[in-house]
Amino acid sequence: MISLVLLSSGSGSRMENSVPKQYLSLGGKPIIIHTLERLAKVKEISEVVICCTEEYMEHIARLIKNHCPQLNYKLVKGGKTRQESTWNGIQVCENGSVMIHEAARPFVKINEFERLALEESENAIYGVEIPFTVLKGNGQIDETLDREELVNVQLPQKFNRDKLLDAFEQAHANNKKFTEDASLFFEYYPNDAVKILEGTVHNMKITYPIDLVIGETIYREYVLGSETN
Amino acid sequence: MTTAIVTGASRGIGRAAAIEMSNNPEVDNIVLIARDEVKLSETIGLLNPRVRARAIVYDFSSQEGIPSMVKEIYDEFGSIDWLLNIAGYTDPKSLLDTTLDSMEITYKINVFSLVEMTKECVKYMKQNEQSKILNVASTAGMTPRPGWLSYASSKSAVISISETLAQELSEYNILVYCISPGRAATDLRKKLAPEEDPTTIMQPAHVAKVIGNLMRMSEHCLDGQNMVVRKQVK
Ligand SMILES: NC(=O)c1ccc[n+]([C@@H]2O[C@H](COP(=O)([O-])OP(=O)(O)OC[C@H]3O[C@@H](n4cnc5c(N)ncnc54)[C@H](OP(=O)(O)O)[C@@H]3O)[C@@H](O)[C@H]2O)c1
Repeated sequence: MISLVLLSSGSGSRMENSVPKQYLSLGGKPIIIHTLERLAKVKEISEVVICCTEEYMEHIARLIKNHCPQLNYKLVKGGKTRQESTWNGIQVCENGSVMIHEAARPFVKINEFERLALEESENAIYGVEIPFTVLKGNGQIDETLDREELVNVQLPQKFNRDKLLDAFEQAHANNKKFTEDASLFFEYYPNDAVKILEGTVHNMKITYPIDLVIGETIYREYVLGSETN
Repeated sequence: MTTAIVTGASRGIGRAAAIEMSNNPEVDNIVLIARDEVKLSETIGLLNPRVRARAIVYDFSSQEGIPSMVKEIYDEFGSIDWLLNIAGYTDPKSLLDTTLDSMEITYKINVFSLVEMTKECVKYMKQNEQSKILNVASTAGMTPRPGWLSYASSKSAVISISETLAQELSEYNILVYCISPGRAATDLRKKLAPEEDPTTIMQPAHVAKVIGNLMRMSEHCLDGQNMVVRKQVK
């Protein structure tokens, strides 16, 4: 069995909205609910640990009661950074295997959770190729990068829980900051293979206001299928 | 196992629809809801005996009891697959004679109970591979007549609600159908047009046939559209 940590403590500052993006509506229901409803149907996941600000705990509990009351979940206070929030979440996970996902990625499919759960490698992430060029630089070009060697990292991801926890503790002790968990894990466990499964471009993160507009189309065409319009 | 709930099954279109459902080999259980216990038992007597039928006496002038009623149905039959919202009420009056009380009772039966029944059933339907909801609106919801203020506007609401929910629930493969019958020979029609000869107009069984056909289909192409069911005047 697997525990899943769902990151939902983002403030949505890039969204130009006082309500964090994961609570805004998409396809007629809150963004966070898209993921939670699907998680409630994934047999391999026995608990969902939701990291959120205290202010939204009651709100989330009410949404779950309305939309997917069968979900087994815990609410955990998020930290000041994404890294702290994930750390808080994995500390309370009951299972030896843990997945991480974020509430702002509502287009993840049930079979993507299932495929990750059934993946033999105990550490695995989703990734997609980068269709544009990325350069290293700051005001001027310092270095070119070969995009064939680069991966656009997605969630969900899966790790050995004890090792991931240890990696977080080391990062904390060294005061090292990471924007994403696979990079943090790799830093401290470079010899533990982290498999990259091919993700889909639809599994985007809602970040900017324009993403909500694009997201409605993805929901209609990709989630509901082309026969609904 | 398919369990179908039919509201307004004690008379008229609801009764005819329940009979129609009982003749559909896909349906195993039928739950009939209305206020009149005697008439509900009469309906059960008219059903094809192959189905398991259960009558529930409930008054849709209040919604408080709906969640526990629906839960009981789920607990007894193990699933809720089809919901036919057919119960309806009318109290035709001109604007100046319309009281908010009359408006409220019309909306409670025709709109609020329909929404609450739908909401409670959807909680269970989300677990199914496919489910179906059929709402009976009315041509009055599109082409109202003077004096039908509360009824016609409540039926407009039913049309709009059906269109919204067809989209909102499609992710769960819950098909929402909406039919708008024209005049049909029932007690309700007598209230709207007391002078009319009921033998000359559409019969409840005609409407029930259309409902029966819709519920048999599993294509997605007619959900979310308001479908008029009307007998052409000769
Ligand atoms: N007949 C028409 O010309 C026509 C046209 C368009 C649409 N419709 C619609 O068709 C549907 C069925 O109506 P009908 O014509 O068959 O009329 P009906 O013969 O008068 O039947 C109405 C049904 O609704 C039930 N009902 C009414 N008030 C209720 C309440 N407070 N709680 C629970 N159930 C209640 C009645 O049961 P109890 O009295 O036993 O409670 C009865 O079973 C209605 O939604 C109506 O608006 C009818």
